[in-house]
Amino acid sequence: MSASTALPVEPLTLAVGDEMTTSEFGPMTRSHFVRYAGAGGDFNPIHHDEGFATSAGMPTVFGMGLLHGGLLGQRLAQWVGPAHVRAYRIRFTGQVWPDDVLTFTGRVENIREEGGEKLADLSLAVIRQTGDPAIKATAVARVG
Amino acid sequence: MADESLIGKDLGTMTFPVDRSKVREFARSLGDRDPIYTDVEVARAAGFTNIPAPPTFVVSSAHWREEDNMIESLELDLRRVLHGEAGWEYFAPIVVGDELTATRRVSDVVKRDGKRGGTMTMVSIQTEYTNQRGELAVRHTDVIVETGG
Repeated sequence: MSASTALPVEPLTLAVGDEMTTSEFGPMTRSHFVRYAGAGGDFNPIHHDEGFATSAGMPTVFGMGLLHGGLLGQRLAQWVGPAHVRAYRIRFTGQVWPDDVLTFTGRVENIREEGGEKLADLSLAVIRQTGDPAIKATAVARVG
Repeated sequence: MADESLIGKDLGTMTFPVDRSKVREFARSLGDRDPIYTDVEVARAAGFTNIPAPPTFVVSSAHWREEDNMIESLELDLRRVLHGEAGWEYFAPIVVGDELTATRRVSDVVKRDGKRGGTMTMVSIQTEYTNQRGELAVRHTDVIVETGG
């Protein structure tokens, strides 16, 4: 059997109130931070060097915002299809620490027409196990 | 001190390749093992001309940037600087094999009273990624916040 993508190819039919399948990632480890540093190119030592982080007054190293922003972005693409994401905007509302377990949520807030296309306005979030949001996000997706 | 006079300031241009190994590494670092990010046949069956870049992939252009002193050149105090927001607008697909040219500038500067006194400054940095055909593919906007000091 040849491989195939689990991601939607055609635009989805979505309605206001529809939700992204909630998923979790974690517990977060320092290895996740280091792996993303290598992939994304963020070598700020506050994310991988314990001595540097503690000398800067942090209890330990913490994750780059673009790591959990990227994790949410992958889930957005899994939900609506990578060809149909028109915009994605994230606001950082809290840090992510080692051992955190992250939950990813998304919801359709509005459906509209623009330039002959049907677009969905989405709200998304990354939530820590404490209930605190680490990211609040919005996105626009082309839908069918 | 950063102020409105920075709006429009040119922060440079650089070019980098979208390569297959980096796309795979990036997707894997985000826990995504869908074959669309590794297998060109899967990507073509999904309507792409080659393996697509993940939504936030353009941030990996950091690997191609020379050491820069962007924060200092914006007259911001590094000790009080936070990454407040990031956003991407997508105009054309980015796929393996593309050569992207990134042009970066200051797109906005807003000041407001900080919650704990002082003045908070929000600087928006806009990076436009144009492909080898001259098409705007992605516009990435970061909002850098200098908290009140």
